[in-house]
Amino acid sequence: MQFEPREAARITLMTHHGLSGRVVELFTALGIPAVLVENARCVRQNVRAGFWGLSGLRMGFSDAASEIYRLTVKRELAAPLLCRLIEGLELRTPGRGAIYAQDVSEISQRVLPDLQLEQVKSEWLLKDLTLITGIQTKSGGGENLYKVALKLGAGVPVVGLGIGTGIRDRLGLLRITISPEKEMVYLMVPGHDANGLQRLLIEEGHVDRPGGGFLYQTPVQAGIVDPLLRIGRQEHAASIEQIIAAIDDLKKNTAWRKRFFGVEDISSNGAAASFSHREITFFCHEEMGDSLVEAAMQAGAAGATVSRVRTSYMQGSEAGRSVSCERGILCVPAAMEKPLLQALSETAAAGPEKSWVLQSVPAASVFTHKRS
Amino acid sequence: MVGAWLGEVFQDGMRRPVSIRCYMARPRRIKIPIGTALPMIWNYARTRIGEQLRAVAFIIVYLVAFKILVLNTPPANALQLSAGIGMVVLGLAFFLEGLFLGLMPLGERVGLQLPQRCNIAVIMFFGLLLGVGATLAEPAIASLRLAGITVTPWGTPLLFRLLELETNGLVMAVGAGVGVAVAFGMARFHFGISIRPFIFTMVPLLLGLSVWFARDPNLAGIINLAWDTGGVTTGPVTVPLVLAMGIGISRSAGRNTGTASGFGVVTLASLFPILAVMLLGVYLNVSTPQPVSIADFFAPANRSNALKLVPSEEKLAAIAFQRGDEAARRACYGSEEKYAAALHSLADQERRRELLGSMSLQEWLSQRASSHERATVAAIKVLPNQAKQANNSDFAKVVKNESGLAVRAIIPLVLLLVIVLLVLLRDRPRRPDEVVLGIVFALVGMAILTSGIRLGLAPLGDQVGRPLPQVFRSETHEEGRVILEPFEPESVLTAFNQNGEAGRFFYFKDRTGTPRPVPFESERYDAVNRRYEHIVERPPLFGPELTLVGIALVFIFAFGMGYGSTVAEPSLSALGATVEELTVGMVTRVGVVRTVSLGVGIGLLAGVSRILYNFSVIWLLIPVYLAVLVLTWFSEDDFASIAWDSGGVTTGPITVPLILAMGLGIGGGLNVIDGFGIVAMASVFPILTMLVYGIMVQRRQREILEADREETHAV
Repeated sequence: MQFEPREAARITLMTHHGLSGRVVELFTALGIPAVLVENARCVRQNVRAGFWGLSGLRMGFSDAASEIYRLTVKRELAAPLLCRLIEGLELRTPGRGAIYAQDVSEISQRVLPDLQLEQVKSEWLLKDLTLITGIQTKSGGGENLYKVALKLGAGVPVVGLGIGTGIRDRLGLLRITISPEKEMVYLMVPGHDANGLQRLLIEEGHVDRPGGGFLYQTPVQAGIVDPLLRIGRQEHAASIEQIIAAIDDLKKNTAWRKRFFGVEDISSNGAAASFSHREITFFCHEEMGDSLVEAAMQAGAAGATVSRVRTSYMQGSEAGRSVSCERGILCVPAAMEKPLLQALSETAAAGPEKSWVLQSVPAASVFTHKRS
Repeated sequence: MVGAWLGEVFQDGMRRPVSIRCYMARPRRIKIPIGTALPMIWNYARTRIGEQLRAVAFIIVYLVAFKILVLNTPPANALQLSAGIGMVVLGLAFFLEGLFLGLMPLGERVGLQLPQRCNIAVIMFFGLLLGVGATLAEPAIASLRLAGITVTPWGTPLLFRLLELETNGLVMAVGAGVGVAVAFGMARFHFGISIRPFIFTMVPLLLGLSVWFARDPNLAGIINLAWDTGGVTTGPVTVPLVLAMGIGISRSAGRNTGTASGFGVVTLASLFPILAVMLLGVYLNVSTPQPVSIADFFAPANRSNALKLVPSEEKLAAIAFQRGDEAARRACYGSEEKYAAALHSLADQERRRELLGSMSLQEWLSQRASSHERATVAAIKVLPNQAKQANNSDFAKVVKNESGLAVRAIIPLVLLLVIVLLVLLRDRPRRPDEVVLGIVFALVGMAILTSGIRLGLAPLGDQVGRPLPQVFRSETHEEGRVILEPFEPESVLTAFNQNGEAGRFFYFKDRTGTPRPVPFESERYDAVNRRYEHIVERPPLFGPELTLVGIALVFIFAFGMGYGSTVAEPSLSALGATVEELTVGMVTRVGVVRTVSLGVGIGLLAGVSRILYNFSVIWLLIPVYLAVLVLTWFSEDDFASIAWDSGGVTTGPITVPLILAMGLGIGGGLNVIDGFGIVAMASVFPILTMLVYGIMVQRRQREILEADREETHAV
């Protein structure tokens, strides 16, 4: 069976757990049939007075429960949908969440939802964003990527959990000596600074050591970021994050805050040639994850990171029900994209469930430690 | 091997896979040379063992420090203790790894598949079976009987009857309670019902029943027992299994609510058995005689009633000796001659074992005998041939015994799950080799762990817990008696005090060999046989006016012991890891373990104060549970069920022996009826601390949103 990829846009919404009720209401009202939900947490810097105010200010990290919602729509619907969601959830106020849309090519047996959305002005959507995805062993020795990201002021990282598979699975029982638990860090940064920030992340997060993890960038078509990097004690009428957000809003881009000069720009208007890799994502029923990973490995992929998500149904009699699913990420060289998608779709089509989805996004600056 | 074979079949051209499982074959296995594998295994083992070492370190250092600094004696039998403690660490590491590799994935798999292949009736029946099986497999009731070793048939007849006569009934009641609880828990996940209605109906019902019980002298005795069973029932194998299964079921038949559904079964499994034991108590109460005074109980007129509780006359005599006082023994034998004959028969080793049970004569003399009886027994001149103390240090025997128990606790449950998975659900675990290895690890770990506890941790706890009353009692403590023979009257000297009164004394060498003057008491001197019975006394650790310090020390001890032993508890660790995974690291494993341990520490404090001041456990249960209910009302659903579950997991293989040693030590020192009630307290306070922790976390979370809300209004 041959499956043809189609063009679509993947919307990813990361919101504070306290907003989950409103998110569901909004999705239902918009007529979206189902979304994929993943539990995550959002890390911020926390500044508070030291013990009895004696030791000055203390920096800590504060976690907030978040959810990551993912859904796929037709490309032309992406911008209006983003705007509706941003307005509905007041995402422009710091601390509530972030949202972005990515152009993907998708293989799936389902039809994309037909949403009735009027076109709205969306000039204030930020266009020059890049998503840095980092995958790191949870119990690794290096400093956590999200902490480095916060210290660098790169953005608010959202952290999810995943299970790494790959070489580990081929070790026999000896595999239990390697912890498969991974932390996946999603960080949205201005596109022109992405490479510079990534370099800093690699150096300070020790990704350049054996077992240090995996980092890559994927382009974001449009979105807004959550600028609330720091919570706690505030000494000015507006925090520096609020000021940055306001100027972003006024300038309608993030180029004004370029930090790194002399580093090539890979944001959406950058050279397409730099996208040497593809990030392949699969969403499937819980049963099927293992066989998909296996198929990918046979097709030549080095490994995958699988995380647990659930499909929440929003409409009709099924509203309120959710089904457990798996989401897998593979990062492969561009040349492998076609055979890999072929292998994956064949395997998926052989299974009993029809609700699987394969998506492919160009990826750049893939970095991991290589044994020399 | 199977994997490789399937892989070959697949590559040989079966292009159209019959089943998706064909793809699960792992065709190319990487061979790791032994030189690379060994460091990998070493690294893995080192981190796991190091983790457990840190978990156990606190309680060990604490106990030893208390023993040396406060009780002023070095730990006895140190070699065996250290070996035992080493085994505890190793056993914990193995057992926990076994849980994470084998038992929990197995449970989760079953939970995932059940709702897809079976209807709710089958699921509930399976839950019932699992609950009953878990209770029968894990012999937690045995520890309750140990706590009730001092229960008397005259003071609390119903309690005595439940523990000594109706043991099977008690186990069945608890098993039924757990079974019904697990069945309800499964149904709860299936229909997506919140835990709140269960809590808000069950807890007031149980509290109401307790208040009603407190008005009846007979039923009042079993309140503590009932609330304790709730805490004891959920053991280290059941909790992780049920937890994993619940998570599987709620993931598979999920609703859109919450991040941490899957919790709550342990809560129900703690509440339902309380109800079951109470109902059993009400049923038995009708046919149980009322409490009477000790002399009336043994009086011949009451014999028919007494024989309802104690099967035979011999047993009655034994109870009079082991748990009664002189009046009881006199009343029991009826006539002076028979009584004297019984006392004399203590000289006979066979007879002594019949009458005193596991007590040694020395223990009986110092704890139960009156001064008259001591004199009589001393006159018969029982040879102090201490029938070679039951050598429980018999290493191989302990290990063998505990291995048997480990097999009994793990294998039936695992078999039940495996059969359901393979036969009923026609599925298999995701990684069968890992699961098998995990089960082996769990078995080995459990055997090593429990033997280690028997050999190391429990004796150490005992050595500290038993002499604990010395700390707060102001009177001198009798350490033992020595017969000095032949005693020369010339060795007695005279000393005058400042008022010019004469006193007689002689020199007696203390443990260090220094001669010390001790007062001579003429009534202890037997001039005919030239024999003097000297009582070796140990002065109170703190002067008579310092008992407050002593009581404070006991409280500190209780708190530290509760905290330290809970930190090492394996099922709590499993719960913490699950919470951490489900909340994506928002609530960490360490955070859960510390908060719950703090709660257990506070709970033990409360329990010990109940024993010290001897008030009804009701006065603690009602206010604390009311506070917990109020906090539950204000908590999010997720956190409420996590908090309530952590109350049930606190009492496991490490905590129970230590708590019991302490409870028995303090209880024995004060002659209170029973050491119950501590476990109940150790179960409710962790709920309280976890709820407070949860509300703090939630508030911090909401702060971010609420701060923004104000801003948006201002704009």
